[in-house]
Amino acid sequence: MESLKKEDERLQMFFDGELAPEDEVAVRRELERSPEGATQLREWEQLRSAMKRVSAEWAGEIDSDALFARIESDIGAPVVPIEHAKPKLPALRVVPGGRERRVWGGVATGFAAAAAIFLAVMAWPDPQLDPTPVIRGSEVLEADFGSNTGTIFEVEGGAGESLAVVWIDDEEVGLP
Amino acid sequence: MSLIRRLLVFTVFLCASAAIGVSAQSSSLTKSDRASTVSSVPAEVLVILAKEEAGTIDPQLAKMTALRRPPFNSFRSMHILSRPKLQLTPGKDALVSLPNGRRMKLTLLRVMPDGRYKVKAAINRPDKSDYLPLLQVIASAGDPFFVAGQTYQGGTLVVGVIVDPKKTSE
Repeated sequence: MESLKKEDERLQMFFDGELAPEDEVAVRRELERSPEGATQLREWEQLRSAMKRVSAEWAGEIDSDALFARIESDIGAPVVPIEHAKPKLPALRVVPGGRERRVWGGVATGFAAAAAIFLAVMAWPDPQLDPTPVIRGSEVLEADFGSNTGTIFEVEGGAGESLAVVWIDDEEVGLP
Repeated sequence: MSLIRRLLVFTVFLCASAAIGVSAQSSSLTKSDRASTVSSVPAEVLVILAKEEAGTIDPQLAKMTALRRPPFNSFRSMHILSRPKLQLTPGKDALVSLPNGRRMKLTLLRVMPDGRYKVKAAINRPDKSDYLPLLQVIASAGDPFFVAGQTYQGGTLVVGVIVDPKKTSE
């Protein structure tokens, strides 16, 4: 594989006329004995001639004098500095005072809001904060009837409340 | 959220909490202090002579529906004999003379946290404890309690006691 690659490079160098004279003679002799080598050499020769022909055609179409004149005029032109577009900065506004002033302003606003809440809470009617239900009526906690007998009743009032009634038998008292 | 906004919100919530706490404490103190700061409470005593004989019901008693229910429903006539007004001062006795010679002694013991009044009552002849030595009642403002059963002039005395009668709803 390696020998084939070297052989191909050697053949390429022979085709390009880059070999030493003694090497060139040796390669020529080998090619005369090898039909594959002669065929390869012939194909390269055809490819070279085709490329030369196309190159000659392209060169004929190009006005080389005009091209060089334009290049020379561009080189001789004065140097104009390229202006880079300035990056667009975000819109800024000037705020008086520093950050510290803004912080204290926020705190002052907070205290003002808190004061408003405080006043609202203090001014709120008591029932809102005092959910204790209103207890109506009357009830007996303790009764000492002495030597008499008595009864404790509960009577319903006009609003449905329970009212206490203590009824004591009056047996001992006399009119004054 | 910026630092200023955080600080603002924190301050508002802190002060609002303090305000609510102070307010709640003030409210509870108001309730608990009420018993100790009450100087006197007005009261009214209704001395009614009720009889089973047919008669009239005093128009002033028309709104007291309790007097038309048992055990009062056996009475067909009711007349107000007296209607003394007095001031109940905590720890001080208030005396009301009854037509049968007895005296009713009323004492405001305290104002309960729920606003009701704890009252001590006694009905006796002077220097005696022959009828009702002791009665302790809790009554809400404007709602009466009754002591009945004493015989008088062929009828029965019904004594109604109303503490803080201006707040009565009957």
